Amino acid sequence: MRRSLLSAFAMLGWLLQSPAGAEKATGDQSQPAGDEVVFGQSAALSGPASELGMGMRLGLVAAFAEVNAAGGVDGHPLSLTTLDDAYEPEAAVANTRELIEKHEVYALVGAVGTPTSRAAQPVTSDAGVPYIAPFTGAEFLRDAKEQSNVFNVRASYFQETAEIVARLTEDLGITKIGILYQDDSYGRAGLAGVRRALDARGLPLVAEANYPRNTVIVKRALLNLRRFDPEAVVIIGAYKPAATLIRWARRLDFRPVFVNISFVGTSALAEELGADGEGVYITQVVPFPLDTGVAVVGRYQQALAASAPDAEPGFVSLEGYLAGRLVVEGLRLAGPRAPRAEFLAALRGAPPIELGGFELEYGEGDNQGSDRVYLTVIDANGDVKPTQRMVRR
Amino acid sequence: MSDPPVNSADREPAGVVLPRNGGAQCREHTTGRRVGIRLQTYLGLFGSVLLVTMASFVAYIFLNQIVQFQSRLADDSIPNLSRAVEVARQSTNLVQSVVRMVSAATPEEHQSVADEVLEGRQKLTGMVKAIGAMEIFSAQAHQLSLRLNTLEALLNEIYESSGRRLEIRASLDVLVDELGVINKRLERSTGAALDDQGFFLQTGLRELDDVADPLSQRELNDELAHYWDLIEINHQTTTAGLLLGEALVLADRDLLGPIEERFQSAAQSITRVGVRLASRPDQAALVADIGRLVEIGSAVDGVLALRRETLERLERETEALNDGREASSRFLADMETLVAEVNRQAVAVNTQSQDAATTGMVLLVALTLVSVVGAVLIGWLFVGRHLIRRMVDLSGNMRDMAGGDLEVPVAVTGNDEVTDMANALEVFRRYALEVQRLNLVEKLAQELDGKNKDLEQALERLRKAQEQIVAEEKLASLGQLTAGVAHEIKNPLNFVSNFAEVSSELIDEIGEILEETEDAQSDLVEEVKEILDDLRTNLGKIREHSGRADGIVRNMLEHSRAEPGDWRETDLNALVKQYRDLAYHAIRAENTEFNLTMTDELDDDVGNVEVVPQDISRAFLNILTNACQAIEEKCAKVGKDYEPELGIASKRLADAVEFTIRDNGPGIPADLRQRMFEPFVTTKDTGKGTGLGLSLTSDIITRHGGHIDVESEVGVFTEFRIRLPLEPTRTSPE
Repeated sequence: MRRSLLSAFAMLGWLLQSPAGAEKATGDQSQPAGDEVVFGQSAALSGPASELGMGMRLGLVAAFAEVNAAGGVDGHPLSLTTLDDAYEPEAAVANTRELIEKHEVYALVGAVGTPTSRAAQPVTSDAGVPYIAPFTGAEFLRDAKEQSNVFNVRASYFQETAEIVARLTEDLGITKIGILYQDDSYGRAGLAGVRRALDARGLPLVAEANYPRNTVIVKRALLNLRRFDPEAVVIIGAYKPAATLIRWARRLDFRPVFVNISFVGTSALAEELGADGEGVYITQVVPFPLDTGVAVVGRYQQALAASAPDAEPGFVSLEGYLAGRLVVEGLRLAGPRAPRAEFLAALRGAPPIELGGFELEYGEGDNQGSDRVYLTVIDANGDVKPTQRMVRR
Repeated sequence: MSDPPVNSADREPAGVVLPRNGGAQCREHTTGRRVGIRLQTYLGLFGSVLLVTMASFVAYIFLNQIVQFQSRLADDSIPNLSRAVEVARQSTNLVQSVVRMVSAATPEEHQSVADEVLEGRQKLTGMVKAIGAMEIFSAQAHQLSLRLNTLEALLNEIYESSGRRLEIRASLDVLVDELGVINKRLERSTGAALDDQGFFLQTGLRELDDVADPLSQRELNDELAHYWDLIEINHQTTTAGLLLGEALVLADRDLLGPIEERFQSAAQSITRVGVRLASRPDQAALVADIGRLVEIGSAVDGVLALRRETLERLERETEALNDGREASSRFLADMETLVAEVNRQAVAVNTQSQDAATTGMVLLVALTLVSVVGAVLIGWLFVGRHLIRRMVDLSGNMRDMAGGDLEVPVAVTGNDEVTDMANALEVFRRYALEVQRLNLVEKLAQELDGKNKDLEQALERLRKAQEQIVAEEKLASLGQLTAGVAHEIKNPLNFVSNFAEVSSELIDEIGEILEETEDAQSDLVEEVKEILDDLRTNLGKIREHSGRADGIVRNMLEHSRAEPGDWRETDLNALVKQYRDLAYHAIRAENTEFNLTMTDELDDDVGNVEVVPQDISRAFLNILTNACQAIEEKCAKVGKDYEPELGIASKRLADAVEFTIRDNGPGIPADLRQRMFEPFVTTKDTGKGTGLGLSLTSDIITRHGGHIDVESEVGVFTEFRIRLPLEPTRTSPE
């Protein structure tokens, strides 16, 4: 009885609201009536890491468009303001300040890169603004006590490098492992991860080379690596220098197993390498974006098709979509007008967030949602395929 | 004040008859010129007002003086002072604005400060001109304008120089931005070129699709030289960039020289290597960048030259600023002198003003004191002593007279209205004294008359009392007589009664005897029997009437008993009935035709009441006898149409009993009703009534604590109402 009365009231409310909703719909495609909740993103939209920034934005926008089409969060639509930092830390700091002060964003989401995050995150924690789902696996962002305003989606670089070393040693029995890393905090984070994983197995790091960020100056590094003849080279870098190195290595008939970590930008790398990419492994922190067997991937593809019909599904935009979903869940838990501290507390105290084949679990002392690391490989056609284990070819 | 007091006794002979023009006579006796009270008061007031007016006039003169000094201060000195201070303030502001102009960061800021400075300068110039136009400053004005010119020249220099410096800064900003871009590009391009060249030297490969060719020795030497060139370029461009950065933040002009020198040597190396690099086709971009780097550093409008000019200009501006400060402080010193001069003038005027105020105050206080003393003297000597004291004396005299003391003579002094009042009062006193004496005689005569009347009344009362005593004595003796007569009559009545009884018994015996005779049926016997029956009837009547007579006598005895009655429980209903009958029969005994209808409505609840029955019966008898007599009177007058009625009634009340005796006799006129309870008031012929009946009745009822009143209408009825309390206040008869 009581329930039917309530539903009658709800119906009445819907009837009263519907003319306004219809009017709104004519002007703006299904925009909810409440105040917009604006999110900010500082990422590389230009330069060698631009694929990453674009991809993250694509996924975030798809997730926001999806929830806005369904009426927003309690009637409040979500929007994203993205500023280009070209993967430069100085620009990232300036952008983050501008987003907080000028655009008054509710939270920063989907930043790309370790050095940029390292520079920008303190700005957000000083301002008490959440820093959600940065596209990096750097360890320093996973200290939940120090970085109480940070919530990560993806597994850490340590987890990725540990998986890489595990696969190389267990699947292929490789013991001589070298590393090419970008000469910055990202590269050093990967280096530290590889070292840890090798130390755990009592293996030495046989070759070590680096290259300057935002360049393709990798030839000397290649010659250095070649001198030590590693069986496998772990690349902690961006897709352009990584591709350059791999192609020159192929040219010199230097054929170790090349393994990249997720940050490299899988699609861009595969495209850059073309046929030279065969057998190059890339670890992932999200499911395979074409694997519609995973529920959340299916929804991601629908959302992406709806918001950007021309875009191809990819790892980065999938991660961006997952980041968007995390933000939406947080807003739903705390309420769309909740103070930022309540939003963070809601995520911290939330039960595991099941997005459909991909689970995010947070808690006190744990600001990283997923521990999953996936493995993919580029085949002879230059296509990326999921795989469970490495094989010698 | 001038008139000495004169005793009226000396002038006025005491006498019973007063002359009507006593006042005029008094005036003749006063000596000296007459000064009226009005004139005296006006004189006193005029004196006081004169003193106050003098004080006010003096105060006005000095206040006016103070106002003049103050207006000089307000019109001249203070504005002069504030003008001078304003000029000083303006010049200080100006110097501060110049400091801001030197440190301006943008052309807009610079221009706005410059506008401010221009405005301030114009103001200051105007002020200095205005000051120069003033008489007291004319000497200093020329020097001030000279100083101002110096200041203005310095200001112009600083303005132009700082403006140019800002232009330079804008150019430098552009160059620095370009330098940053070029540096970054050079870092990458030299790095990449080195990486490529090193890789080529080691692998012989430049592009992925190249085929590796073995190099000749000469080629190898050339490529190695190129590798070294690239290293040199990489090193020297980094150095040049660092030097330019250092020059940009340098503040000391002397240190700029060494930097310029080191940059020149780096630039020379870069240019030398650049010539060699230009011969290689793939390094065109690099050559262009290094050329531009050298140009940015060492051109006429390059970073180093602009930086040098900036530092030189800053130095000169600082000097000019210091000069300006000095000029300003000299200017201020001049102004201070001026201010001091103006201030001195102001102080002087102020002192004069204060002096005037002090003098005015002292004079005012003195005059106020004089005014107060004068007013007090006028008040005390004239009004107090001369007028008020005399009026107070007069008032005392009047109070005495009002209190009846007319003996004290009125003192007459002076020669004014108060003197007239005193004279008039004295005349009045004497009249009053005379009138008082006359009144006293008349009053005594009246008192005597009153006493006489009292005595007459007392005499009348005495006479009446005497009559009452005589009447009561008569009644008492009548009572005794009646008692004696009654007693005497009682014995014969007993005989009559007893013998009638005995005779009756004898007749019965005769009857028995006749019965026993044989010829009982004989006519004779019958006849005797009839006679005997008549006899018996007669005897019965004798017995009955003697009994009645006995009753009457017993009543009379009871009524006339001389001793005072006792309080007894008495059936008042029976008593009233008994005396009603007695009264009726007493009349009927004299007038056999007298007849009346008697009604009684007696309340059984009345019962026994404690009274003195002897007295109460007498009261009832008096009223009832009066009623019967009145009815008899009316019968005689009216005749047979009249049906006389006498009603008695009783009623038990809450705490009393009430008896009503009503007849329809002739009634009692109203005037008589008022005095009918007084003694010796009667309507009966002389000898028929004493006039004491109702008086006694009233006394009796009153002694019982009761109350009697009467209601009547002439020709219709008379009703007496007697109320007796159930618990009487036992007032014993005296």
